[in-house]
Amino acid sequence: MAGLDQTLRAFLLKEIVSGMASTLKMMFKPKVTLNYPYEKGPLSPRFRGEHALRRYPNGEERCIACKLCEATCPAEAITIESEPRDDGSRRTTRYDIDMTKCIYCGLCEEACPVDAIVEGPNYEFAVETREELMYDKEKLLANGDRWETVLARRLELDAPYR
Amino acid sequence: MAHFFFETMAGHVILMVLETLAVLVPLLLAVAYLTLMERKVMASMQMRRGPNVNGLFGVLQAFADAIKMITKETIIPSGANKFLFLFAPFLTFSLAMVAWAVIPTGNGLAVANINVGILYLLAISSLGVYGILIAGWASNSKYAFLGGLRSAAQMVSYEVSIGLVIVSVLLAVGSLNLNDIILAQQHVWFCVPMFPMFIVFFISALAETNRAPFDLPEGESELVAGFFVEYSSLSFGLFFLGEYANMILMSGMVSILFLGGWLPPLGIAPLTWIPGPLWLIAKILFCLFVFIWVRATFPRYRYDQLMRLGWKVFLPFSLLWMIGTAGFLLATGLLPQGMS
Amino acid sequence: MVKVFIDGAPIEVPAGSSALQACEAAGKEIPRFCYHERLSVAGNCRMCLVEVVNAPKPVASCGFPVGEGMQILTDTEKVRRARRAVMEFLLINHPLDCPICDQGGECDLQDQAYGYGSGVSRYEEEKRAVTDKNLGPLVKTVMTRCIQCTRCVRFCTEIAGTPELGAVSRGENLEITTYVEKALTSELSGNLIDICPVGALTSKPGAFQARPWELKKTDAIDVMDAVGTNIVMQVRGGEVKRIVPRVNDEVNEEWLSDKGRFSVDGLKHRRLDRPWVRVHGKRQAVSWQDAFVAVAKRLEGVAGDRIGAIAGDLCDAESMTALRDLMSALGSENIDCRQDGAIYDLSDRARYTFASGIVGIEDADALLIVGAVPRHDAPVLNARIRKRYLAAGRGGFPIGVIGAQPSDPTWGYEAVGDGPAALNGLLDGSNPFAAVLKAAKKPMIILGHGALTRKDASAIQSSVWKLAEEVGAVGPDWNGFNILHTAASRVAGLDLGFLPGKGGRSVAGMLKGGVEVLWLLGADEFPVGEIGPDTFVIYQGHHGDAAAARADVILPGAAYTEKSGTWVNTEGRVQQSFQAVFPPGEAREDWRILRAFSDVVGYRLPYDTIESLRARMASINPVFAGGVALAGTGQAAQGGEIDGAEPFRVPVQSYYLTNPISRASETMAECARVYGPVAAIAAE
Repeated sequence: MAGLDQTLRAFLLKEIVSGMASTLKMMFKPKVTLNYPYEKGPLSPRFRGEHALRRYPNGEERCIACKLCEATCPAEAITIESEPRDDGSRRTTRYDIDMTKCIYCGLCEEACPVDAIVEGPNYEFAVETREELMYDKEKLLANGDRWETVLARRLELDAPYR
Repeated sequence: MAHFFFETMAGHVILMVLETLAVLVPLLLAVAYLTLMERKVMASMQMRRGPNVNGLFGVLQAFADAIKMITKETIIPSGANKFLFLFAPFLTFSLAMVAWAVIPTGNGLAVANINVGILYLLAISSLGVYGILIAGWASNSKYAFLGGLRSAAQMVSYEVSIGLVIVSVLLAVGSLNLNDIILAQQHVWFCVPMFPMFIVFFISALAETNRAPFDLPEGESELVAGFFVEYSSLSFGLFFLGEYANMILMSGMVSILFLGGWLPPLGIAPLTWIPGPLWLIAKILFCLFVFIWVRATFPRYRYDQLMRLGWKVFLPFSLLWMIGTAGFLLATGLLPQGMS
Repeated sequence: MVKVFIDGAPIEVPAGSSALQACEAAGKEIPRFCYHERLSVAGNCRMCLVEVVNAPKPVASCGFPVGEGMQILTDTEKVRRARRAVMEFLLINHPLDCPICDQGGECDLQDQAYGYGSGVSRYEEEKRAVTDKNLGPLVKTVMTRCIQCTRCVRFCTEIAGTPELGAVSRGENLEITTYVEKALTSELSGNLIDICPVGALTSKPGAFQARPWELKKTDAIDVMDAVGTNIVMQVRGGEVKRIVPRVNDEVNEEWLSDKGRFSVDGLKHRRLDRPWVRVHGKRQAVSWQDAFVAVAKRLEGVAGDRIGAIAGDLCDAESMTALRDLMSALGSENIDCRQDGAIYDLSDRARYTFASGIVGIEDADALLIVGAVPRHDAPVLNARIRKRYLAAGRGGFPIGVIGAQPSDPTWGYEAVGDGPAALNGLLDGSNPFAAVLKAAKKPMIILGHGALTRKDASAIQSSVWKLAEEVGAVGPDWNGFNILHTAASRVAGLDLGFLPGKGGRSVAGMLKGGVEVLWLLGADEFPVGEIGPDTFVIYQGHHGDAAAARADVILPGAAYTEKSGTWVNTEGRVQQSFQAVFPPGEAREDWRILRAFSDVVGYRLPYDTIESLRARMASINPVFAGGVALAGTGQAAQGGEIDGAEPFRVPVQSYYLTNPISRASETMAECARVYGPVAAIAAE
């Protein structure tokens, strides 16, 4: 009896029909597409996007060239060279991030003792050449200046959980 | 005027060219929009919107794709047989186009209304396998080679059941002329009395055109893209056009053999006002929709399952049906004239 | 031997050992800051607390002598709590600025805070802050980080012998300072950086440039003097960032001279990085092939005895071997490794090396220094003399000096005379120091280059040898006749016989037109101006120094950090050094240059690998393969007349600027500026 039942089901294409009915039903459901360039999804304050080097409110760069981010970076994407600045303070002469190597794990941000290197909310930094993805200190500081208000707000929001 | 077209040689040629263009231009446009339709239908079945940026509702997407494809670099693999490599997409494309010569869009309205139309179609679609075999071999790539082999085996297998299904239809019609086949369905479409054959034919058509769930020759996970993995730019475009033109052709065959071609569903007043070509187009569109619907619904078959279905289910079943049809027609004396 | 129980396990240690040494012997690691095995015990950091059974409270193990049957517990809850408490106190005033501290990553305080530190501080008051001191161009101070272990004070006083650092005030206010702000005058001041357990004393020239975890380490031998100090070259990004000493108790213990440590920046400046050829008086950059062809063309038709070669002070034995073989192939006997014109007694290896060995100093019980300035010639060796001097106590290690010494040689001495005439006094017993030497069981005589570079050096050596025999300095079980070399390549050159052959010319003979073609292998320390005007000079070396300016063809070679080479120190100890970085630009390893050039002149040197070249060295002198050295490689000193009127001279050159590398170094130039010329006082 069970065998007959199964054979009948197979010959009457029950599964096929019910499958196709299901997809047809879906066709009339409301769409979930986000109209991307015009609409954007919500971002967590912990979202790890494009990097930025921050400054103190008085304009002094935060980075002190401790090289902890360089040491912790699992992709070895960060290169730092440092030297005493004219006033004797410890500063980087070079702070490069190879964005093609970066895996956006956020360990650099975790490691930074002065909240200098952060991963910001920006994920729209596609460029036309690979060279443009070799970020240098200037570019990172410019990012920091551009996003500072957002970055500060994000750190503030995330602070209770740190 | 009529004299020029129908009596002189030059007129004949010009008329032929015009007729051909009248079929090919809408066909190519249809292919372009079929891709858009596929993306839109699939998207809505997956609760997405699909392309909607180029033009209103994305109507210009097809042209954007075409421009992109044409402007890409043509790459010919260093180990490839250059001539065959370039010949294969051309062959596939031209075969997909040539088949349309015999498809009637209205009563007697075909570029070539020949009496062996169905045989012609079978012949052309059998040749299609060569384009794929040549492409697979000439690419000199293991993925392309395996894809070509699979594709050839699959098409040959399903052509057998397609042939048997067509024979069943022919038994009921008594003519190889496509126009006659359609006219034979004036009272009832063949999809009603021969419903199982309709299903078998449709599924075989999916396999014949390498469509999901039988798109094993281009199975991404194991073969990257199958026989056309090495193709790019325009040569890839020709394959692409050929494949979709084949889809439309197969939908046309389904419409003609089982859905009454250009006939309205019922020969009553409001329906008969609509011209025959529109009915055919509507039926083809429905078939194409089902093609896409199936793709959006079912996962890919395993290769051995595909072969089992072709040889161990469809072949005996359609053979049995054909014998059954012949027996039934003989017994009831409904056998068309000239076939006894 | 005393039997003690460390965590229940019995172990035998020498009587008088401290509890800490006993624990070390048992393999237990005791945390410490102030204790250093080569310094006296201060016992002021309290980190090394251990529990001694039946003692009322934990004891500082570094200063606690063991007794028979004593039971020491190193890892009990009591000990851990005590150490945690000590750590908490140390961290109270420590600024915790590890991210900007150069010690970060190799800091004792950081490491031990992992084990004994608490994550939070209970200290809410103001932290102490200390003004930084200026200790000269080499040592940077961040005194707020100081944990007052006083290792630096003890190092300066005991090892360096320049008691310039001290502590003022008490308790929290204690500060390490120089009393009156001044630069440290020691040639060993760089070791303060290694010895400081925190980041209070760090390297000034290397400040903020590299983290210890970024540095690739390569073992090497220092070439700034002839001691053969074992060093580690630490490389980052193709550049030697710093050089630190490697422990070798037989040579340098764990010290390194400032010149060896801080002249690294000289490797970046004034480098020869491509071949040059002088055409019509103007130098042109050319390819290696063109340079070789230019040299080969000039050599065409020049008789072998009109070709000469001089090896410089920084050469490795491999390149000298290759040059020696090349010269003999060209038919030349004019080769010399003695740029300063020193005359050695080459009849016995013991007569041109520091025969007693550097450790031998610790056995000696009287010392006569003739024409040597150990503090400048070999600061690390001088520390050994001071060590012996301090160990012997007042008057226990009498030192006599013939010649001048710097104002403070770091040990007390008796001026025996200022010139070789004093030797006569010692020989005939008229000088009271003769009796001191005679009374000693193991007297030692150090003969330096102040004496050997004189015209009457041969005679001086004969008399010193005679004196040594007379006072019993040379015998079957004690050989205290020592030559103190100043050039790292010299002993290897002498061992290899890089000396004029039969009828060959020495350095002086090659100058003033003595040869037509002169090949200089890194040789800059001879009177370059005296090269004949028509002499064709080929300079093969790494720095654009005096000789390179005169050269007609420049072949860029590798500095000591850029090649693996063999060096023989003043004791005759054969040591190998490894390549840390690649030579700049088109420069190549020196022996490869010579090997490639030999192809161009049609005589192929028979070695393609450094291994086969070393086999060739061993066939010249088995000492290079670890075998017994050839007894001697040349003839004995000739004797002759001593020029008694002429006193021994101290070289006028600054200690910091003795070779092309240090002359190219900005740090060394700054040192020379700060410390001025060598302050020498004539002996009475």
